[in-house]
Amino acid sequence: MPKLTIDNLEVTVAEGTNVLEAARALDIVIPHFCYHEALGAVGACRLCAMMFVDGPVKGLQMACMIKAQDGMIVSSTDPAAMDLRRHVIEWTMINHPHDCPVCDEGGECQLQEMTVAGGHGVRRYTGRKRTFTNQNLGPFVQQEMNRCITCYRCVRTYRDYCGGSDFGVFGSRNRVFYGRIQAGKLESFFAGNIIDVCPTGVLTSKPFRYKTRLWDLQEAPSVCPHCSLGCATVPGGRYRDVQRVRAGINRETNGFFICDRGRFGYDHVNHPQRPRQARVDGQPVMIDKALTAVRQRVAEIAREHGSNSVAFLGSCRASLEANVLLRDWAVATGSAQLVFEAHHGRDRAARTLAANLGEHARSLEDVRRSDLIIVFGADPLAEGPMLVLAMRQAARNGGRIAVIDPRPVELPCAAKHLPVVAERLPVVLAAFGQGDLNAFDSHEREFFASLMAQLHAARRPVLVGGVDLLGDQGVDALCSAAAELSTGERSVGVMILLAGPNSFGGALLAGAGPDFEALLDAIQESRVRALVCLESDPFREAMDPARAQAALAHLELLVSIDNTPSLTAQRADIFLPARANAEMAGSYINNEGRLQAFLPVIDPGLPIRETGAGNHPPREFFQETPGSAAEADWWLLTHLLERGANLVELRKAIEQNDERFAGLSTIAAEATGLRLAAKGVLPPAAEKQRPHAATTGILPLLVTTVPVGSHWLAHLSSPLAATEPQPYVCLHPDYANELGLAAGDRVRLSTHLGQCHVVVRVSAQMLNGLVLAPHLWDTALEGMLPGSRLDCRLEKETKA
Amino acid sequence: MNAYPQVLFKNRRPKETVLLPEYEKSGGYQGLRAALKMSPEEVSTQVKNSGLRGRGGAGFPTGVKWSFFSVDQPGDKYLVCNGDEMEPGTYKDRQLLLADPHQLVEGMAIAAYALQIPVGYIFLRYAYEDCSLQVERAIEAAIAAGYLGKNILGSGFDVELHVHRSAGRYILGEETSLLNGLEGRRPVPRSKPPFPAKHGLFGRPTNVNNVETLATVPHILVNGTAWFHGLALNPESAGTKLFGLSGHLNRTECFELPLGITLREVVEDFGGGVRGGHKFKACLPGGASTPYLTAEHLDVMMDFDPLEEVSSRLGTAGVTVFDEQTCMVAVTRNLNRFFARESCGWCTPCRDGLAMVSWLLDRIEFGQGSEDDLAMLKDQVRNIKGRSFCALAEGAMGPVEALLRLFEDEIKDHIRKGCCPFAGK
Amino acid sequence: MTELLPQKQIDSFKARAAALAHPHELIVDLLRAIQSHYGWVPDAGVLLTAMTLGVLPVEVEELATFYDKIYRRAVGRRVIHVCDSICCWSLGAEMITEHLQKSLGIDFGMTTTDGAFTLLPSCCLGACGDAPAMMIGLTTYGKLTPQKIDEILLKERVAIAADA
Repeated sequence: MPKLTIDNLEVTVAEGTNVLEAARALDIVIPHFCYHEALGAVGACRLCAMMFVDGPVKGLQMACMIKAQDGMIVSSTDPAAMDLRRHVIEWTMINHPHDCPVCDEGGECQLQEMTVAGGHGVRRYTGRKRTFTNQNLGPFVQQEMNRCITCYRCVRTYRDYCGGSDFGVFGSRNRVFYGRIQAGKLESFFAGNIIDVCPTGVLTSKPFRYKTRLWDLQEAPSVCPHCSLGCATVPGGRYRDVQRVRAGINRETNGFFICDRGRFGYDHVNHPQRPRQARVDGQPVMIDKALTAVRQRVAEIAREHGSNSVAFLGSCRASLEANVLLRDWAVATGSAQLVFEAHHGRDRAARTLAANLGEHARSLEDVRRSDLIIVFGADPLAEGPMLVLAMRQAARNGGRIAVIDPRPVELPCAAKHLPVVAERLPVVLAAFGQGDLNAFDSHEREFFASLMAQLHAARRPVLVGGVDLLGDQGVDALCSAAAELSTGERSVGVMILLAGPNSFGGALLAGAGPDFEALLDAIQESRVRALVCLESDPFREAMDPARAQAALAHLELLVSIDNTPSLTAQRADIFLPARANAEMAGSYINNEGRLQAFLPVIDPGLPIRETGAGNHPPREFFQETPGSAAEADWWLLTHLLERGANLVELRKAIEQNDERFAGLSTIAAEATGLRLAAKGVLPPAAEKQRPHAATTGILPLLVTTVPVGSHWLAHLSSPLAATEPQPYVCLHPDYANELGLAAGDRVRLSTHLGQCHVVVRVSAQMLNGLVLAPHLWDTALEGMLPGSRLDCRLEKETKA
Repeated sequence: MNAYPQVLFKNRRPKETVLLPEYEKSGGYQGLRAALKMSPEEVSTQVKNSGLRGRGGAGFPTGVKWSFFSVDQPGDKYLVCNGDEMEPGTYKDRQLLLADPHQLVEGMAIAAYALQIPVGYIFLRYAYEDCSLQVERAIEAAIAAGYLGKNILGSGFDVELHVHRSAGRYILGEETSLLNGLEGRRPVPRSKPPFPAKHGLFGRPTNVNNVETLATVPHILVNGTAWFHGLALNPESAGTKLFGLSGHLNRTECFELPLGITLREVVEDFGGGVRGGHKFKACLPGGASTPYLTAEHLDVMMDFDPLEEVSSRLGTAGVTVFDEQTCMVAVTRNLNRFFARESCGWCTPCRDGLAMVSWLLDRIEFGQGSEDDLAMLKDQVRNIKGRSFCALAEGAMGPVEALLRLFEDEIKDHIRKGCCPFAGK
Repeated sequence: MTELLPQKQIDSFKARAAALAHPHELIVDLLRAIQSHYGWVPDAGVLLTAMTLGVLPVEVEELATFYDKIYRRAVGRRVIHVCDSICCWSLGAEMITEHLQKSLGIDFGMTTTDGAFTLLPSCCLGACGDAPAMMIGLTTYGKLTPQKIDEILLKERVAIAADA
């Protein structure tokens, strides 16, 4: 641990820390452009000059390039260092336009800050400036190259860190251009990160363009609601609109970056069809009235038909606090009919994970440091995109990656891929855990033999899985394999991708309760007569929506608490508008059991652009903010339970009642969160899955999530919705051949759920003999839920 | 006319290239034979003891560079010849390769043996297609004669050489940029450490030397270190050096001369004096990045250390002479434009700082300059020199700094008169 | 339109790339091969290079736009690089340039209307002893005078006509 002196202050830092970071530890900010903690030091911008007065290194040096050593005496205020910093700023400003007043970066422009901090106040250069022609980089990133100061951060982020392949650095001298070979949409699913890393207004958010000056933007630390990884985000809002999201910093989860789903998925908050008004029997009412109605009717049904006639359905997108209160309500009602996920496959798998994970839990940071990652039945780009980036960092550090999955799993790093039938994954995992190569055919045996050898040599291996393909059996097998393959010296890690931001929280709360299939039976048989849905949509989220819709029609009372225009919200007898994640404080438990808090960014209300119908300010005036009735999900539940609605008190009470959530009252939204040691309980045994019928013409179909289009909240976000794919099926080229199909063909896909028109895609990376279909909201494929294995037919359509 | 001992140019004839038989007849490949009879360490030691300093511009002792390379490292290792001769005023490697290319092949074979490297790359600049063809021809002949390839001269040592033709850009002469260029990555410089000896081409240990440096090695092996020391006129130095003369001289040719020869002898005896009876005003002693010398320096020894003592450098020993009618602001402007244009664009002082300096020199040269511009020019030099990522911008500041030191009056004359005082001359 | 590169050469590059641990090292070679065959490197040449070597198109473009002797825009049958560095400048390169521009009727960066010549400034060509100098294609011409330039251009014109 080297100890050095910076500006007469002593500091001790970890081995390998550079002097710029050492200074930062003393709250001495050394101006810099090219250095970035996640990207490392390259010494290109020459801004972070410090004078090394005495010690092992002497003279003026770039602080980012020098590792802290014992006995260094460093000055940040040395005249030569300050002179150079002033000049570097002057040089970077030579070509920079004087367009700060109209630049979208204004307010968070690092160049602006450094220019002021560096003391460059008067432009001495009066010559010609170099200019560029901008490219259209697609719907997310706006390019304005004349502002570029050539710090190389964007290309290092896009190519090196994120593994993108269509963005580069062209030209040389003072005419360096960052962009694509030709204009076009940036292909990487992490492209938006270049907006964050650009220190000035070259790369800005296109959807956010011209919306708000940044000093007017309200921001707060939050947690991304678009998958189970718990990435830190900082949403920004104004005019009752959430207008953008930038990456937050959480060194245990996302690090410094986020995916484009997290970045551009914010717009569900502003969705024009979002129900913002409490309703009872179709009539708009004040929220108090609706709350009273819920309390009365639920109590009535319980009284009339018994406690178990009231069922409660929680959700992975509701806060932990709300889900806990829902459980409390069920307990208070005396009902055992409590489920936390309408998709029973995901529910069972999550509970299996919560029961088994224990010390095998790994964070994204652990994955980044892993030396061997084996993926069983997961497509991280769709199910937890930032895991892809974590895996890439592992690969960049020499880690190896193998994927066992029937899908063409795309990764921006080298990986060995073995396509295996999804149903076989539990068996494969069991055999792998026991080192039993006899379970494999000759081709697979070679693959697994080499994998086992790698695993034995690996020091920080992680097994990755996804709930949709693994199911409860697969998750169980994966956790068992991890346990079996762990030795005294090193434990094998587990990272399972769950469905939503609070899936793990729901799984912990569910205990050995029924799953939604069982609940549907009870509803069908009128044993259950009332259903309270917390931010869930059983009509569309149950694995068999047709069966769900038929059963739910029998309900006497349907209550919905939601912040999206879900079918359940529309059909509910009583509807309570809830706040969205960016409008409230709360917490989630991510897929590794990490408890994380988030804060409200804006208050709910109809966006001004809607109330003003495009005009601003609106010409009608109200006492209250239009559409502001929504309350936090936990607030609504405390009122339903007639408890005090104080979040601090609530969290303390939760801790006291259930020690598994100890720490809930102490976590800060800016912090890395708290990994819980809590364990869940396995779900009750399920009925065996029916095998595929082997009838001629009947093809096996597997439904999976895709990066954009399968996630409900993201689907409601207009910037992302524009990039959703049209319905398609994906086939191995040999299989397509066998079926007389080719890429681009239009076919009719028929299942027991109905028929739809899709386009054929082919991929040589996927399993032969399987039809792959994406789950896509609001398309004909909506009724097929991820993880479903169906029988289907494909009939080629001739072009009309 | 050149009475000094000729080593590299001993076989040189105008417009002809020495082929293998003639090279062998003149003692060619005896250095390799001698080396192969020695241990690799002995070869390195001999090169170290010879006092040979790198001929590419920096003048780093070759044997010391070799000693950084740990010979017994397992895995791939590379020897790279830097033939990206692109510094204005420098054309000596081209003359050498066109005259007698087997010297380079032999030198590389010896270096490969000394460092136990089986693969060598010869990196040649785009404009030197003529050299590339000659080097390739020499390599072919050497392979056929058993000097290259498997088990060379029955020694059990293998070495293969490849020619890489570049596609322009001065920055590739910087050794780490050159390695990036060879790898097919953007040829921007790499940070050092790690040095190429540890982490070079394709991340493997690599030794990089200049053409002339490597071509000198066989002669040291044949004739010994004492002989090599004796070649120089400066007792502190060793060897001959190729001097490429250019600019306002009567004879602008490339000569092999002993290190330590005076600038006066180079200019007057070999360059035939300044053209048209004009007076010597200044010169670049060793390429575009070396600070000017003036008439007061005519008796300075053209050698590494003596030139540093007068705030200049031997560089590549490409001597470009300017007569008294030459505007030194215009010269500096031309030189700086070259460096600004050839900047790779990696670091700010070079990419944008040199452009700023160019702009200032333009203003002064074209009579728009002011005292403020002069002050600005000074603070630019102060902040670019020693502050850039690699040596390119540092080199660019050589002539600018010398302009300010030696010709400030001339700058002020431009400012006072509002035009170039040499215009029309 | 002529092909970018004969299939035989493409195949040979493919085979060499397949045998290399680092196929990127052939990018400049292949770009130069396309340029020498086709005259310059169009977008399709960048893609062909990427596909042949199994590297990213963007990696090829990053190099193609860095090196000044790779032409990413159409050029004439002969590209004239006039040295404007110090030695040639000191011996009248500006006058030589003027003469070239006048006799060709074009400025730097332009191509003659007959498609014969493109005129580009160049940094030092390593012909400092023979200043002023220029390079046409890969051939260097030194000790230029207006008269000598006229002779060279005439000779090149004849050669171009013979090629056609």
